[in-house]
Amino acid sequence: MVNYGRVTFSLKKRLEDIVSEKYISDAPEDLEKYSKDESLTPPHPPEIVVKPVSVEEVSAIMKLAYENFIPVTPQGSRTGLSGAAHPIHGGIVLSFERMNKIIEIDEENMMTVVEPGVLIMDLHAETEKKGLLYPPDPGQESGTIGGNISTNAGGVRGMKYGVTRDFVQGLEAVLPNGTIIDLGGKNVKNSTGYELIDLIIGSEGTLAVVTKAILRLIPKPRHTALLYVPFNSTRDAVKVVPEIIKRKVIPFAIEYMPQHAVLTAEKYLERRLPDNEHSAYLLIGVEGNSESEIDNSLEVAGEACLEMGGLDAFVAETQTQQQQLWEARKCLFDAYKSFYEIDEVDACVPRNKIPDYVEEAEKIAENNRLLIVNIGHAGDGNVHSIIAKGETEREEWLKVLEKTVNELISVSLSLGGTVSGEHGVGYTKKNYLELKVGKTQVELMKMIKRVFDPNNILNPGKVFDL
Amino acid sequence: MSEGLNIIVCIKQVPATTEVEIDPETGTLKREGIESVINPFDEYAIEESIRLKEKYGGIVKVVTMGPPMAEQALRDAIAMGCDQAILITDRVFAGADTWATSLTLARCIDKLKPYDIVLCGLKTTDGDTGQTGPELAEHLGIPHICYVNRILGIDNGVMRVTRALDDGVETLESNLPLLLTVTKEINHPRLATLKGRLLAKRAEIKKFTLKEIGGDPKEYGLSGSFTRVIKVFTPSPPVSGEVMEVDPEIAAQKIFEKLVEIKVI
Repeated sequence: MVNYGRVTFSLKKRLEDIVSEKYISDAPEDLEKYSKDESLTPPHPPEIVVKPVSVEEVSAIMKLAYENFIPVTPQGSRTGLSGAAHPIHGGIVLSFERMNKIIEIDEENMMTVVEPGVLIMDLHAETEKKGLLYPPDPGQESGTIGGNISTNAGGVRGMKYGVTRDFVQGLEAVLPNGTIIDLGGKNVKNSTGYELIDLIIGSEGTLAVVTKAILRLIPKPRHTALLYVPFNSTRDAVKVVPEIIKRKVIPFAIEYMPQHAVLTAEKYLERRLPDNEHSAYLLIGVEGNSESEIDNSLEVAGEACLEMGGLDAFVAETQTQQQQLWEARKCLFDAYKSFYEIDEVDACVPRNKIPDYVEEAEKIAENNRLLIVNIGHAGDGNVHSIIAKGETEREEWLKVLEKTVNELISVSLSLGGTVSGEHGVGYTKKNYLELKVGKTQVELMKMIKRVFDPNNILNPGKVFDL
Repeated sequence: MSEGLNIIVCIKQVPATTEVEIDPETGTLKREGIESVINPFDEYAIEESIRLKEKYGGIVKVVTMGPPMAEQALRDAIAMGCDQAILITDRVFAGADTWATSLTLARCIDKLKPYDIVLCGLKTTDGDTGQTGPELAEHLGIPHICYVNRILGIDNGVMRVTRALDDGVETLESNLPLLLTVTKEINHPRLATLKGRLLAKRAEIKKFTLKEIGGDPKEYGLSGSFTRVIKVFTPSPPVSGEVMEVDPEIAAQKIFEKLVEIKVI
């Protein structure tokens, strides 16, 4: 391991030559604030927090850090769930909160140019004002686009539109030694050399620091509607998914919620959902440009549900009705967090394997005597297993938790699934990487990391240990 | 009563958003491109009418007055569980104030006799007067109770309800037929089901024009209205409360004193 340099007084002065003093802090309360994300990982305070405003500043900071062997951890809004933004070796936190501008919404090329600190909710709101849509829609809307690119975030629209990677057209990034590179662009096609942009996306801030992104947009469908369908079992609910697709309707989202989640949402929001008496629920979102298109999609998807074991099909059509149902789905992470101490595994399995995964997860919960609530993007196979601490002592729980996470990931891998669907490997899941991709690929990844970052200063100790 | 209740619920189609633009020339709402929905207060009336039907048996007829496009609001009401729908539509009825509207509704509802209960939302989100319900009861010559937040039950043709007022809760009884306007505390309106929607699509919507309603055209619409809209505007939110610009510590102390003073703590 590299012996990292320290952020000395003189280095701090040199940082102040790059970024105005106002935007540099080593005050204890700031070091604490920037010490962790939303995972259970204990905090890792940095030595200093720097908030650059331009690519030139980022480049100068990286050059300085590179020459002095100072570890640098880029941060968005620290809403990650795998510890990827933890400054585990101290050093510099590079916070992108000031680089939060939507530079351009280009309606002719249907793309937007953004800085990494733009919040997902702002990106959605601003593009939608122009009748455009940025489809990736992770639950955590106060996350940043920089963070989303780093983890290749997905969200509820994954089944129809794909994930962040599918919408990144171009990146401006700074290499660990301070060199600025431009990848991709507004050109739709590209057969010019290795597609390095795809290495950066999902690299969890270990290869380069993203300072600007060009994102692809689509025309925002004019109408949407939701179906809320109760079932007697997970298996019944999930087997509807391929049936709907077979009937040539592609919902933009199919979300699975067990009864426990429905009841928890009701308790958290202090209001009733249309039905809470059955063991499994699907929330199906359809969209279109005309009311007749919506009508048709609702009927085809709804009838498929009713024929395949759906016990009823509630239709939310007005904005308010739809918002209320989405709110119930999207509040779940916060709801469980407010009632329990939780951790989460976000395995992604082939979508026909969801029932097997959920059944195994339920067995694991029973054996380990804790609560596991499986909430899923049923359309794309990504299941969020919320592991909640019950009455047990914390230390005991943490021990059982580790075993539980191991077991859940083993189940996912045995079903042909992955370690993480959208949260990333980060700090907490790096022991599992090799189980999924094997030794050869981990070695390849390490070689790539060394090429980009020979001094191993950029977000070290994440994804794997060098 | 032995065959269940005859319930009539009156609804209005309104623009979905509160940010409606106003045409400065005419002072009327610009409705183009804006989604139309059932007036939210009327959804509570619909839900309550369906609950009454589920409890006591009977039939729910939903009535609206409006342009032909208001038919969608009626279909949405059927999708929720109403049984029959009547659309009162005629150019003659256009531009009506609450008086002319309630008169037109009353003439229609007279033709739907016998009925036991007429339900209305407390008010509409576009007009916000809360007058149409009580005026309708007067035209029909039946008693009415406004601000109903709970129906306690019906016994021997007598309905008991409660309503929340500023200074307490009243429990009231009335003989049927009776008109109620309901508040949003009364229930949580259900979502339509897919089956309900399919049923609603095929449902027959009865149309009442001047011919079916009867009477002199001068009684209706703009010419039958006593009031005229002179200006329409979005009211600014009520400003109330004290503003103190002091340091947080002093502010906390002041708030504490205030809470003690008004006996909250």
